[in-house]
Amino acid sequence: MTTSANGNNTYRPDAIIVGAGIAGMQSALDLADQGLQVLLVERESSIGGHMIALAKVFPTLDCASCITAPKMSASAHHDNIRIMVNTEVQAIRTVRGTHHVKLLRKATYVNFDKCIGCRLCEYACDSEYPDPFEAGLGARRAIAVPFTNAIPQKAVLNPELCTTCGSCARVCPTDAIEYDQQSEVVEIETDAVVVASGFALNSLNIKPQYNALQSKNIISALTMERLLAPHGPYGRVLRPSDGKIPSSVAFVQCAGSRDVSIGVPYCSRVCCMYAIKQAMLLSGALPIADITIYYMDIRAFGKGYEQFYQNAKAMGINFVRGKVARIDPIEDGDLNLHVETTEDAENILQEHHHDLVVLAQGMVPEWNPSLSTPVAVASDGFVATPMLTAPTSTTANGIFVAGVASGPKDIVDTIAEAGAAAMQVSQYLYQKRAAQEHVAGPVLVG
Amino acid sequence: MSDNRHSTAQPGKEEYEEAVLKDDAEYRQQHETVKRQQAEERERAGEPAEPKVGVYICRCGGNISDVVDVERVAQVVAMVPGVAVAKVHTFMCSDPGQHTISNDILENGLDRVVVASCSPFLHEQTFRGAVSRGNLNPYLYEHVNIREQGSWAHKHDPEGATRLAIQMITGAVGKLRNAQPLELIKLPNHRQALVIGGGIAGMKTAAELAARGIRVLLVESSNRLGGRLNERGRVYPSETMASDLVADLERQVRNNGNIDILLNSKVTVVDGFIGNFRTVIEGLIGPSGGFDKRDALVGAIVMATGYRPYVPRDGEFLYRQDPCVLTTPEFIQMMQNLDAGTGSLQYNRRTIRSVAFLHCVGSRQLDGVNEPQADGTLNKYCSRTCCSTILQQSLALRKRFPQVHVYDFHRDIRTYGRGEEEYYTEASKAGVVFFRYNGEDPLQVERATGASGKQAPSRKEAPITITVKDMLTWGQEIAVPVDMVVLGVGMVPSHIEDLVDSIKLPTGEDHFLQEVHPKLRPVEVAVNGVLIAGTAQGPMNIQETLNAAAAAAVKAAAMFAREMVELNPYVASVDASLCCGEGLCVTQCDYEGALHLVETEIDGQTVQRAEVNAGLCVGCGACVAVCPHRAMELNGWRLDQFEAMVDGLMADTQHADCEPQLVNLG
Ligand SMILES: Cc1cc2nc3c(=O)[nH]c(=O)nc-3n(C[C@H](O)[C@H](O)[C@H](O)COP(=O)(O)OP(=O)(O)OC[C@H]3O[C@@H](n4cnc5c(N)ncnc54)[C@H](O)[C@@H]3O)c2cc1C
Ligand SMILES: Cc1cc2nc3c(=O)[nH]c(=O)nc-3n(C[C@H](O)[C@H](O)[C@H](O)COP(=O)(O)OP(=O)(O)OC[C@H]3O[C@@H](n4cnc5c(N)ncnc54)[C@H](O)[C@@H]3O)c2cc1C
Ligand code: SF4
Ligand code: SF4
Ligand code: SF4
Repeated sequence: MTTSANGNNTYRPDAIIVGAGIAGMQSALDLADQGLQVLLVERESSIGGHMIALAKVFPTLDCASCITAPKMSASAHHDNIRIMVNTEVQAIRTVRGTHHVKLLRKATYVNFDKCIGCRLCEYACDSEYPDPFEAGLGARRAIAVPFTNAIPQKAVLNPELCTTCGSCARVCPTDAIEYDQQSEVVEIETDAVVVASGFALNSLNIKPQYNALQSKNIISALTMERLLAPHGPYGRVLRPSDGKIPSSVAFVQCAGSRDVSIGVPYCSRVCCMYAIKQAMLLSGALPIADITIYYMDIRAFGKGYEQFYQNAKAMGINFVRGKVARIDPIEDGDLNLHVETTEDAENILQEHHHDLVVLAQGMVPEWNPSLSTPVAVASDGFVATPMLTAPTSTTANGIFVAGVASGPKDIVDTIAEAGAAAMQVSQYLYQKRAAQEHVAGPVLVG
Repeated sequence: MSDNRHSTAQPGKEEYEEAVLKDDAEYRQQHETVKRQQAEERERAGEPAEPKVGVYICRCGGNISDVVDVERVAQVVAMVPGVAVAKVHTFMCSDPGQHTISNDILENGLDRVVVASCSPFLHEQTFRGAVSRGNLNPYLYEHVNIREQGSWAHKHDPEGATRLAIQMITGAVGKLRNAQPLELIKLPNHRQALVIGGGIAGMKTAAELAARGIRVLLVESSNRLGGRLNERGRVYPSETMASDLVADLERQVRNNGNIDILLNSKVTVVDGFIGNFRTVIEGLIGPSGGFDKRDALVGAIVMATGYRPYVPRDGEFLYRQDPCVLTTPEFIQMMQNLDAGTGSLQYNRRTIRSVAFLHCVGSRQLDGVNEPQADGTLNKYCSRTCCSTILQQSLALRKRFPQVHVYDFHRDIRTYGRGEEEYYTEASKAGVVFFRYNGEDPLQVERATGASGKQAPSRKEAPITITVKDMLTWGQEIAVPVDMVVLGVGMVPSHIEDLVDSIKLPTGEDHFLQEVHPKLRPVEVAVNGVLIAGTAQGPMNIQETLNAAAAAAVKAAAMFAREMVELNPYVASVDASLCCGEGLCVTQCDYEGALHLVETEIDGQTVQRAEVNAGLCVGCGACVAVCPHRAMELNGWRLDQFEAMVDGLMADTQHADCEPQLVNLG
């Protein structure tokens, strides 16, 4: 059920979920399946989080869309779930056990009740900008449905690029476009909250010695996901600077993690595995390309992951243990990597030539709830939890956490944790209501 | 399980064949009659005689359409009789894709739907949902797999894959023509869970369910709760005492009105199905040690049977040959038992001046390098917790005995989790010396021969030598003398072979319990109603175990939120008017209790007739195959459906630009 902006005061869900990535969606589904009413809030124009933008996912190499899209669809069609997109959770105030959740409902300039997702407006629009869903590689119109399998399928207008030429309003068959729409702040009350606000990657340029700003061919791993996606911006893997088919690709691991000097001393936990995955997919897409992974330790710890790693080695992907000290852009858009290895006494300081480099940036929290909610974060910036007793609890009673919001995690671990958070919410509500209504008996089934 | 299958005498082969031949003719006649009746019924109900089938073909973003010419498939199948629309979509499973289906049903009056996409395992349910949203019975739906069975299997034969897709879809259309609406089978739901294993996983699952108002039977085979954590001291990453964690969970499960705890007990019988498992639990009770056997009817079973630390073979890295070669659990126990304040580390009358920690013992084994287990398999997986355990222990050792040299031999350091990398950094700072080797060049642990050559080392020399090709010093061969070796052993599953057998639980190559899908159904196994919690599924640390356990609990809670259990309707059904009560089918049925003979009264006479227990029938069709009177049918897979499907599959797609020449499609 997709809901449009309205300040309906009587709506009081049992739980509000902050963020509709895979963690938020899974928590919502596991709560809704128990008969609880859930509001799923997402800042972007579509639910799905990072996962819907991935190509294929380790360790099973399922296409990411094939796993994410059905969960998106199930969330959207569940009778007990309401979704609000383009909506940001700004603050939570807790008064006597009730959480007052402050939401910024951003103007989309399209009336969602009227829009049928026909995309006529998009085709009529002349103003283009680099498509954020395609890691900036494709183009998006100023008014557009965010991507093919977005949910909801509703057009959203980007006011910064709109020239108010009026083309879209003229073609829209349902008169859905409202140039004068305003953002609004609403407050919704609830008994329980799940923080599932996920991650961002730290800057590509966090290590200046890698000169990422000097070359378009030093890319983020998320950009590589889009290049590898079957329906990605180019439909195949081409390097961004000149559209050349890369012949020698380097993956530089721990490029924003495990380094105290950049403020990320921890391991980001997924980059070893996604680098191996991307390397495998690349060797399928570009059979003659050389692929090298520069690493400190390969952390293939999950179920089936070690076998995945061994398969990659058997496929001929080069694994070089060493520290990449510097990356220099050279002629033709190529790159020179200075690598310190400990594996070859003759050749401690090596130089390697590649034409495309993927940096494994570190995972950092997307949202800092400690600034405007009762939820505290730990020294690593992620939500603090009593890890060994209740990994999905936070410092605030009735507010729970799931997914990367409480530290880097892969999808498998995220999904398990999202289920765990849903369990905690449901038993918290059950206990709370049993205490409140002990005469009438608990209101939940079960 | 008792066996009543052989109680009825087998009829002779000839008798049997004769009966089949005779009845085949009869059957064909009946079949014709049924068809005619159906057509008449349709007419009476004002339904169109010809079904209106919608066919949807998925590109899967290129996964299918890069090989299969989906547009041509759509063109061709559009000509198959009965097909009203044939459409192509980039992602059928996406919301717009699903919406097309429900919309077409509502707007174009479709009454049958086929989707040709990926494996039904992934999305059959998804599309049944879309069909339901169009107010059509979800069993008037057929799923055709043209990805795993088509584009992926026949990458190099696009033409063949395209033709195959057409044939499979035509077959499905045929099968659908004779399909009937079916309803989910609804059965009582016994709202009590049986949790097997009382480690932290089992206790967590029980505590969560109980707090949600659901009754739990918690069965533990040993004499105490807590599992392996009872054998640990301080645990990473918080350095909490393991005993405190166990005590905390124990408080939640003990004296809890919703939880019955049975210690020293084993589940010996499991029968039945989701919502209705009949189980028998046997065990010792009370301090007198009396023996108890009790039955329990439960709706869900949670496997929380945990792991065993890997036990090295005699002689593997000198294990059981040198008294100072210990496994990590043994080392942890040793450190726990040391008297406080001892200044030097003594063990087995040896002064320990140096200790080596070896990673990956019994894990990450490689073909041709490591010796297989007794059953011939290798433990290829990473045990996930041993790296952090080793670093935690080596750091604690350096802190407690600064004079002891600590060496760490690893292939990779996998301190991936929150708060774990710190142990690595701290251990390095505290002077732990690291050696790294390649898995293909395993290290050697040998008795030292002593400086003088052949004889044993003198008291001052270390009795064990570790030789390694160290990749941190450019592949140099290094020999490290040590007094003690700690083997960082991995995890192997608990001995639950009996349960695996009786519940028919799937296990993976690694022998751990196997989930249905790591992302779609991570805590469920292929047996409906059975869930997995914790390390019974594979290596996990405490935090991951607790999450997995609560995730299993949430699935059980959702199951129990329903009044009734709902099962797929693909079960056998008996036409009592054709059944002669001979019971041939009963002798063929492999599933205890699924099919039996009952006495009924027909025209004043007491006769026997076959009867199906829908909860236990798995829909294998063995009974259908042997019934000489065609009295047995499988709902959703009736014989006339098969016939029409085969006709469809046989459609000739070779000629005339692939226009199918349909043979006998009725
Ligand atoms: C390049 C790359 C490749 C990967 N490949 C794999 C792989 O193959 N297999 C695998 O298992 N894992 C992989 N991962 C990891 C995987 O992406 C994560 O495990 C997963 O996406 C985490 O999901 P999440 O829901 O916790 O976070 P996210 O996906 O980040 O979702 C969080 C959501 O919350 C929203 N949000 C944040 N703050 C607010 C707010 N205040 N109000 C409203 N909404 C908010 C965000 O917009 C976002 O949609 C990969 C990661 C990367 C970077
Ligand atoms: C050496 C070592 C050190 C570790 N240190 C840490 C650490 O510091 N921090 C950390 O996070 N993790 C650590 N771990 C991991 C931790 O031990 C596990 O995550 C945790 O114990 C898993 O709990 P569990 O309930 O799944 O399994 P278990 O603890 O194995 O419990 C399973 C229970 O099931 C019972 N059982 C088995 N079969 C049956 C049956 N058929 N019927 C009835 N009952 C049965 C068993 O008796 C047992 O009580 C360590 C692991 C090892 C090997
Ligand atoms: S033209 Fe109108 S209805 Fe169509 S997508 Fe744009 S806003 Fe929506
Ligand atoms: S997962 Fe691998 S690449 Fe990522 S920070 Fe950890 S060790 Fe480095
Ligand atoms: S966790 Fe470390 S020691 Fe254990 S198997 Fe994995 S790599 Fe080896």
